[in-house]
Amino acid sequence: MSILAMGLALAIRQSNGKVLVESYRWMTALWQPSIDHTLIMSQAANQELQAQVAELQYQNRELKKLLGFSDQILPDGLPAPVIGRSADHWWQQLTLARGSLQQVKPGDVVMAPGGLVGRVQQVTPHTSRILLISDPTSRVGVMVSRSRHMGVMRGSGSQTAILEFFDKNPKVEVGDNVVTSGLSSLYPAGLVVGKVRAINLDASPAPQAQVDLTAPLGLMEWGLIYSYVPAPTLTP
Amino acid sequence: MFQHLPLPLRQPVSGLITALSGILATLAPWIRGPGLELAGLTPDWPLIWVVAWSVRRSVWEGAVAGLTLGFLQDALTSSRPTHALELAIVGILTARLQKQRYVQEDFISVALIVFGMVVIAETLMALQWTLFSAATLNTPTLSSLGSELGDAPRSLASIWLTHQKNTLISAILSSLWAPVLYLPLSACWDPQDAKKAK
Repeated sequence: MSILAMGLALAIRQSNGKVLVESYRWMTALWQPSIDHTLIMSQAANQELQAQVAELQYQNRELKKLLGFSDQILPDGLPAPVIGRSADHWWQQLTLARGSLQQVKPGDVVMAPGGLVGRVQQVTPHTSRILLISDPTSRVGVMVSRSRHMGVMRGSGSQTAILEFFDKNPKVEVGDNVVTSGLSSLYPAGLVVGKVRAINLDASPAPQAQVDLTAPLGLMEWGLIYSYVPAPTLTP
Repeated sequence: MFQHLPLPLRQPVSGLITALSGILATLAPWIRGPGLELAGLTPDWPLIWVVAWSVRRSVWEGAVAGLTLGFLQDALTSSRPTHALELAIVGILTARLQKQRYVQEDFISVALIVFGMVVIAETLMALQWTLFSAATLNTPTLSSLGSELGDAPRSLASIWLTHQKNTLISAILSSLWAPVLYLPLSACWDPQDAKKAK
């Protein structure tokens, strides 16, 4: 018996312990982290795109400066944690833990990773209430980034909003990006809002599109508050 | 629950718990946790509180509690349309029900009452929105900046779609969670009720 054991051990030693190592790997396979190649590749691609965007934004800013282009370029935002969601089912609101003591004022614009979120409706010394762009009473002047066709987007209480075009025959395709337009008085122009998901050109008052909002409103834990003074609205 | 407390302390302590629980119930919808959220909606905690309060009280007390919590909820969302109306009516109806006459088992009947009351409350809210949007239809440009009302009135279709969604989901969630609020509160209010019954 002992000879058998010694012989086995020797055999293992001679094979550099391949059997042991293999069986160890097999036993611990449960705890080994699996490597998700697609995830890593997409993260890398994402980083590259972000770098490109930053570079293009920089170039854009420099070119605008050269042209003497005066535009409201947003200064740095004030990060604020989300401390509450809507206190009622009829409103789509958020409460952020920054308020008038941090120079937040009604009308300020709130962004999150993904794009536009909403605007400040009311402030207290340490909190501010945000009306989300997904609220059915919210209206955002937007345009299709590719074809520059404009419209008004209204929320529907979910992650999808409805875009009504001004034009009877807008050039729009599924997958087009939607950004705030220069005609929007409540929001600065050029903020990313969403992506077109479906188009209904036969809708009754005007052609409509369903827009998937890019900022995940239900999952937000932080928002960035940007100081913004809305353009005065033209009253007839 | 407070029998061990000296007599002069009982009423203030119970009053304090009532007030605190009411305020907490108004703030509770802000919190979203596992099991608390279904399709983006939470249980209607203020309504559960009003039902728990009014179940064994007079119509007048139910109405006052409903108004109070409604005003608190208005303060946290928007004062137009008001929540005070729906909650006051919920309080009155719950007090009028005289539950003891029909159902014995306590928290099951409370869950049922909550279910019905959510339907009534959400319908009242939708009716208010409808009136409101009809009244503002002729003035398309509300002064929008920082306004309490958002940028524009809701469309009728969106009001009744929201109503449908809210009513179904909120009624189910609220009635399932109702015992969580009702049992401790009724345990705390019981001695007072017993006194009144005598």
